[in-house]
Amino acid sequence: MLSVRRSASAFVAVAIGVTLVAAATLLLASGRPQVPDRLARAAVVVQSPEAGASADQFVPTRPWSATAAAGLVGRLSGLPDVVAAVPDRTFYAQPLVDGRPSAADSGREDAHQGHGWSSAQLGGLRLTAGEPPRRAGEVVVDRALGLRVGAPVTVLTAVGPEPYTVTGLVDGPGVHVADEVAAALAPGVRAIGLVLAPGADPERVAMAARGVVGGDGRVLTGAARGVLEPPGDARTRWIGMQVLTATAALAGFVTVFVVSSTFAFTLAQRRRELGLLRAVGATGRQVRRMVGAEALAVGASAGLVGLLLGAALAPVLGRLLVDVGYEPSTFRVRYELWPVAVSLAAGPVIAVLAVWSASRRAARVRPLEALREAAVEQRPIGRLRAATGTLLLATGVALSVGTATADEARVAAQYALYAVMALVAGATVLAPVVVGPLVRLLRSPVRRPGGAIGMLVRGGALTATRRTAAIAAPVLLTVAFAVLVSGMVRTTSAAYAAGRADNVNAGWIVVPDRAPGLSDRAVAATGGTALLPTTVYRTDPATPPKDRPLTALGVEPEGFAAANRVLTVVAGSLDDLTGADTVVVTASANLLPSEPYPVVFADGTSVSLRVVAVVTDTSIPGDLLVPRAVVRAHDPSALTSTVYVRDRIDPPVGARILDVPAWAAEADAAEDRLIWLFTLLLIGVSAGYGAIAVANTLLLAAAGRAADLRLIRMAGATRRQVIWLVTAESALVVLIGALLGGAVAFVGLLSVRAGLAEQVGAPVDLMVPWPVVAGVVGLCLLLAVLSSVLPTWRLLRHRPARSPVGG
Amino acid sequence: MTTDTVTVTGLRAVYGTGTRRVTALDGVTTSFASGTFTAVMGPSGSGKSTLLHCAAGLDRPTEGSVTIDGTRLDDLDEDELTRLRRDRIGFVFQAFNLVSTLTAAQNVELPSRLARRRPPAGDVTAALDAVGLADRAGHRPSELSGGEQQRVAVARALITRPAVVFADEPTGALDSASSRQVLRLLRALVDDHGQTVVMVTHDPAAAAYADRVLLLADGRVVDELTGGITAAAVAARIAEREIVAESSC
Ligand SMILES: Nc1ncnc2c1ncn2[C@@H]1O[C@H](COP(=O)(O)OP(=O)(O)OP(=O)(O)O)[C@@H](O)[C@H]1O
Ligand SMILES: [Mg+2]
Repeated sequence: MLSVRRSASAFVAVAIGVTLVAAATLLLASGRPQVPDRLARAAVVVQSPEAGASADQFVPTRPWSATAAAGLVGRLSGLPDVVAAVPDRTFYAQPLVDGRPSAADSGREDAHQGHGWSSAQLGGLRLTAGEPPRRAGEVVVDRALGLRVGAPVTVLTAVGPEPYTVTGLVDGPGVHVADEVAAALAPGVRAIGLVLAPGADPERVAMAARGVVGGDGRVLTGAARGVLEPPGDARTRWIGMQVLTATAALAGFVTVFVVSSTFAFTLAQRRRELGLLRAVGATGRQVRRMVGAEALAVGASAGLVGLLLGAALAPVLGRLLVDVGYEPSTFRVRYELWPVAVSLAAGPVIAVLAVWSASRRAARVRPLEALREAAVEQRPIGRLRAATGTLLLATGVALSVGTATADEARVAAQYALYAVMALVAGATVLAPVVVGPLVRLLRSPVRRPGGAIGMLVRGGALTATRRTAAIAAPVLLTVAFAVLVSGMVRTTSAAYAAGRADNVNAGWIVVPDRAPGLSDRAVAATGGTALLPTTVYRTDPATPPKDRPLTALGVEPEGFAAANRVLTVVAGSLDDLTGADTVVVTASANLLPSEPYPVVFADGTSVSLRVVAVVTDTSIPGDLLVPRAVVRAHDPSALTSTVYVRDRIDPPVGARILDVPAWAAEADAAEDRLIWLFTLLLIGVSAGYGAIAVANTLLLAAAGRAADLRLIRMAGATRRQVIWLVTAESALVVLIGALLGGAVAFVGLLSVRAGLAEQVGAPVDLMVPWPVVAGVVGLCLLLAVLSSVLPTWRLLRHRPARSPVGG
Repeated sequence: MTTDTVTVTGLRAVYGTGTRRVTALDGVTTSFASGTFTAVMGPSGSGKSTLLHCAAGLDRPTEGSVTIDGTRLDDLDEDELTRLRRDRIGFVFQAFNLVSTLTAAQNVELPSRLARRRPPAGDVTAALDAVGLADRAGHRPSELSGGEQQRVAVARALITRPAVVFADEPTGALDSASSRQVLRLLRALVDDHGQTVVMVTHDPAAAAYADRVLLLADGRVVDELTGGITAAAVAARIAEREIVAESSC
């Protein structure tokens, strides 16, 4: 019973869906952490203890103090087969070329990292010229910088620009200094690399090392050393994973959605044939099985095609993801087994899922329908369908509210996606109910082209509300996704930017320029109030999780209080934040002034701090406040993120100055840019797919309308009139879909706005990116008109009575 | 000899409610003896198709019962009814008789296939041969003329040897030559195979092929002709009834 022509649209829909799923899962499986080149020669690496759970997963591990590290190094180098145990120290050091950070390096995290010279052996780095650094002021740099041995070079460190002399060159990023210098700049150690004797078994050495380390660290070998990749890479990779997971989920959803409406549509057109089958003796079960088997065959073959296309597409997309910044530059596509298996299964599974409800309806076709007109109108929707639709809409609204109140922007984006899915599915399920009233509302504009055409258009849409709704569904999907996702992202970032700007009481803000942070000397040059963030680990055994990482901000209390408009002190006084053991905590810590607060600093030393004041959670952009000097003492490499200044000044080297609104708008610019790209990607996937589905259903519909149109023509309509009729019909359907989709999106956006307003504590403007909306609706309209007018035009070239009748 | 293949008693069929209420059948009791050819006639809207649908188990009457080959249809569930249709009943409709994606031969063997029997290839060919279409076995409905499509439907009704074949205006869309061919085939079902045929028609010439003519008006059986049926006799009887109907208004 399988007909190639009839299955073509379902085939195309499944194939495209599986292509997307296959590409996304292949990329997803390829995104595994890479062992950094710097540690390639260290077959066994001991990593300091992992930090406890936190909102941000990309915090570095809790470092060993210099003495603890020295003790471990001593014991590890005594193990059999270990040639050397090298503490790997990493700190901020950025060589300046011609007085500015090198433009080529700005994107690479390891380009502005410094290490002790002994670390070079962990990556097998060899001098290509000159000598190793032996004393303070000597440095080995990357050959790519174009410096010569003996040349002076300025290196930006956390303190400020420092004069160095190049003693040697290597083929690798970053700078290397004498080990003692490195130990002073980075007292805390987070990894110890073991260089093994030739032929030694890493696993045996690892076993022995575990005995030495005990619970004070993790011993890693082989691919597991990938966790040592720079946190920035890990973060990028994580964002990429989110993007890919969401894309795969969306692709799956849109595919099931589009394919099921395609199936529903094809089966609706085959009612007469199904009725005939029932009349000559097919049971309901047989009809259902037949429909299911057809779907399975279409799904399996389309899935195979999709898999091949997806596999071919994956490397191209992979390169794109790296360029855009969703994957680190080390990313390569690997053809793993599981994505192939998943994609192979996806085709049939999608098809069978998609055909499920349509096949139930097909099984209920009554034999008599073979004898009646094809477009029998049923009740718009059944009770089960109404209940499902309502439930889906409710879920969608709940999720939208969740989106708006989620703490992290990226979590919110995920929620948003599921919210839109639920809303769209709900709206589609309920659409047939609204089609009738909507068409009646739209009556006057449609009637204008001419009495007969208006009547026919309206009549068609009204008597076959299910059919109309089925054709409008992909438009609904496309428009709702585009409007809701883009509107949500725009509204959210605008709201946050407004909130940020309101919080700051300063004229201008100095931020790093092509550097990860500002040095102390740069801060001093500005004369403003600076934030010096560092990560500390809370070690209080009474408050799990162990070693919870926290962001501590090093500040000068008066300056900070003056620049911060939202600072609200609940208990104690900020003025007491002066001693080396003082700390200000937020209300959620549940502590009172004078209570102890033990932490481990970045140098690995434990200090028992004392609470001097408590502020509200929203008062500070971090977890703790400590005196700036305390941060500098424990973290020689800490960099200043932001400086608030009163008047405009000339920014120092490696910095830029912005006014407050510009700063607020761009504070998360990198992140916002990624999210916006992500949004466009999702819109692209859904709109592209939706548009194809629109064309698909309308082509099908045109084929089904052939007999009708021929009749209308025989009744005296001119060709022009018929073309007009078809154009008006498809425009009406796009209009219905766009209105419904827009309504769904609007409901979602309103709940997002309500949630945001509560969170930010101020009214929030609804931002709708109209160009995106106009583009999407225009695309649907264009495709809809084309895909119904072209087949009609071809049909009309024949004389009205002479074309074959497709039963 | 006079066993009845199909018996209907007190059939009433009512559609719609309120002002849109239509009584399509208003108490029809009759039977169709096995090995006979009955023509059902009557004005448009008189309930002919409804009678056929109810008698064939395609539709359930509002009241009354139908018995086919000794089986009461009201006792059957949907699947049992389907199986009964598959095994005991054949259909020829006015149009849309064939599944458009299947060839003529496949359409013929469809009921057997649905019953999970594969008819011997010879049977299919023989059935198509009997309707004069042996050489068109591999053609799809879109490649056949209306009359040829009707004949394929008759072949389909031949192959499972159903107890009764229902035909609703099988010649309504055909020219007189094609009509004669189809009618002769239906006649042959009765004469050569002892099957029962019930046919709805508007054409007195078609009715002349039947052994008996049932006249319906307003959902009731109003007249019946048996023996020596000719087109002229049927036409005369219908004209008579129309005069009676008009004068009674
Ligand atoms: N499904 C239905 N719903 C409502 N009314 C119906 C339905 N089926 C039949 N009718 C009505 O029942 C009456 C009898 O219809 P039926 O089709 O049996 O007439 P008929 O004698 O076959 O007419 P024709 O010669 O025109 O085919 C008609 O008035 C028709 O409108
Ligand atoms: Mg009829």
